[in-house]
Amino acid sequence: MKDSNGLVFSGRVSRRTLMVGAAAGAVTLAMPNILRAADKPTLVTSIRSLSNPYHAVWKTGAEAYAKWAGLEHVTLVSEGNSEKGIADIKAMLAKTNGNMVLNSDPNDTPDARPIVEACAKAGAYVVTQWNKPADLHPKDFNPNYVSHIEFDGIASGKTIAEILFKTMGGKGGIVALGGLISTTAAIERKKGLDAALAANPDIKLLDFQVANWKSTEAFDLMGNLLTRFGDDIKGIWAANDDMGSGALEALRAENLAGKVPIVGVDGIKTAVDAVRTGEFACTVTSDPFWQGGMGLAIGYNAKIGKFDPAKEPPEHREFYGKAVLISHDNVEEYYKTNVESKPEIDWNDLWGRVTGAIRA
Amino acid sequence: MTIQTEPLKSVSDIERTTLMTFLPGRIASMLGGRRWRRLAPLAVLVVLCILITIANPNFIELRNLVRLANSAAVPLTLAMGLTFIILMGSIDLSVEGTLSVAAMVVVLLAANDSNGNDYGWWAVLAAVAAGTIMGLISGLVQTMLRIPSFMATLGMWFIGLGLSVYMLGGSAIRLNDASIRDLALHRFLGLPLAVWVAIGAFALAAIIQYYTRLGRHILAIGGDEDVTKLSGVNVTRVRIAAFALAGFFFGIAGVLAAAQLGQSHAVIGDGRLFAAVTAVVVGGTALTGGEGGVVNTLIGVLIVTVLANGMILLGISPYIQQTVQGLMIIAAVALSLDRVRLKIVK
Repeated sequence: MKDSNGLVFSGRVSRRTLMVGAAAGAVTLAMPNILRAADKPTLVTSIRSLSNPYHAVWKTGAEAYAKWAGLEHVTLVSEGNSEKGIADIKAMLAKTNGNMVLNSDPNDTPDARPIVEACAKAGAYVVTQWNKPADLHPKDFNPNYVSHIEFDGIASGKTIAEILFKTMGGKGGIVALGGLISTTAAIERKKGLDAALAANPDIKLLDFQVANWKSTEAFDLMGNLLTRFGDDIKGIWAANDDMGSGALEALRAENLAGKVPIVGVDGIKTAVDAVRTGEFACTVTSDPFWQGGMGLAIGYNAKIGKFDPAKEPPEHREFYGKAVLISHDNVEEYYKTNVESKPEIDWNDLWGRVTGAIRA
Repeated sequence: MTIQTEPLKSVSDIERTTLMTFLPGRIASMLGGRRWRRLAPLAVLVVLCILITIANPNFIELRNLVRLANSAAVPLTLAMGLTFIILMGSIDLSVEGTLSVAAMVVVLLAANDSNGNDYGWWAVLAAVAAGTIMGLISGLVQTMLRIPSFMATLGMWFIGLGLSVYMLGGSAIRLNDASIRDLALHRFLGLPLAVWVAIGAFALAAIIQYYTRLGRHILAIGGDEDVTKLSGVNVTRVRIAAFALAGFFFGIAGVLAAAQLGQSHAVIGDGRLFAAVTAVVVGGTALTGGEGGVVNTLIGVLIVTVLANGMILLGISPYIQQTVQGLMIIAAVALSLDRVRLKIVK
């Protein structure tokens, strides 16, 4: 303890000390800002739900990339509610001060615009997938709106139809199970089927019915279709694997599993297993693991200046990704690399799966 | 296209009432009133079957009848549980959540492709127990916290769904236990075992409704809860028991659904609530409670199933099938509702 005199004057501060103190204080105050600017951005994934196999794999891919790049990663789930999806993204932008990279599968087509606008305003970088309005373009939001990725539904629908026809020997009747009538994917995949049918006059489309993407509905529907057409059904085209697997179980209940080939889209595990046992002829996957990781990778590389989005060609701004076909020929290999172990993806190969610019 | 050139006559009051008498309900009352009305759902079913058979004789093939029974198995079991709740004048919206919990439990405890469990039929018991517990909680929440059944069960629906998503990790898990799969694949007397289970569920529900005190009390509460209370019935206990009973049936339905599809994912129950409520209402059980029963529901389920099957057999475009189903609901309710007793329509 000092003497009492010292104690009385201990509150006094000389001008020099004050200046030094103030300078030190100012530096300290400025520190977080400087530090924050040097902070790594947060990676953010925004998807519809975790209750479907597709988005669950998407999230795994996003986490794999975040681990590889050594970055923080947050998953936002909209649960099919557009308002919630947009509000969560805005909250994230406020929290990170715009220092983030977003890879979003917007719940609904119109949602893409508010999401992109909010990101551009906050200075964050964004990649969208599947859904966006036709008049919303990455090139109008340089550099923040980096890319938009879709998978060509027409090509998928056509590819699986052709493989189905080949498996059937090029002739006979098929039934088709479509997705939710109003969705783009359902409309496009059906167009692909129609194109394949037009090119194969010996194949007859017995009936096209809608099972709303669900295996449960497809199960009941398939039973009814079996009644109507019986043994005339030589093949089943399903707009997604879940419906295909519902149809497969309806066949199994009639001892027809494996006798009538089925094709689907998505590459869910049930379908891959069915391709292995020969109950499915093939399935096509957009590879959600790649979608979840690469969407973040493209956005992050733009953010750190690896490339300037404004200087990229149009087919890097709005492109169709390459779908992976899983059929009898490559199913074992696919199973080893994708199902039994985590897929190995070269995260530096940003444009490796570009198949072309999106049709206007 | 022809153009109507005759000016339309304005309809006077008297004419309007004569028009009214041609409404189905009026026809019903002219033909002997309530007794006929009770038979209305059955008449609808018979007429439907006859019309579809005329259009496509495949309909009455044995194979198709077996398929019809098979696709009615899950909705019938669900609707059995729901009938008791609607008879009480309440509603249970937790159908889809409870069903997905039961399906999740059975798949995770029996042999599957995600973990090492293999408890065989104990898994089935656990699933039915899980369904019963969900129902029990609905009943407790409703009676103890005095929350309307609509909200209490809506909450349970999402709790159940969330639980399934969490436990299944968002993916579809396959059921590999052959003996449980046999519910859907093995046949006894030409019918899949699932159908026999559903018939058993119907028999059990019928016994409960017509031969037990619980069944009478449920009907009494739906008729007039205050009077029932004053006659010394423990309404709280009956309500809790009814919801647990509904959960029990939903649990069985969950097992059947998992067995039929050979897998379980969180959305296995999607769309089942609407189908079950439709079946109950079309069968002539009033949403106001106290009127109808499990036999009505059996007919209701058959109407819904036959119609779905028939529309495919007739090759009706999928784009208008839903519209037809909506029209059928309105027509069936219009036929079976006793509008004379219904003073107020809410």
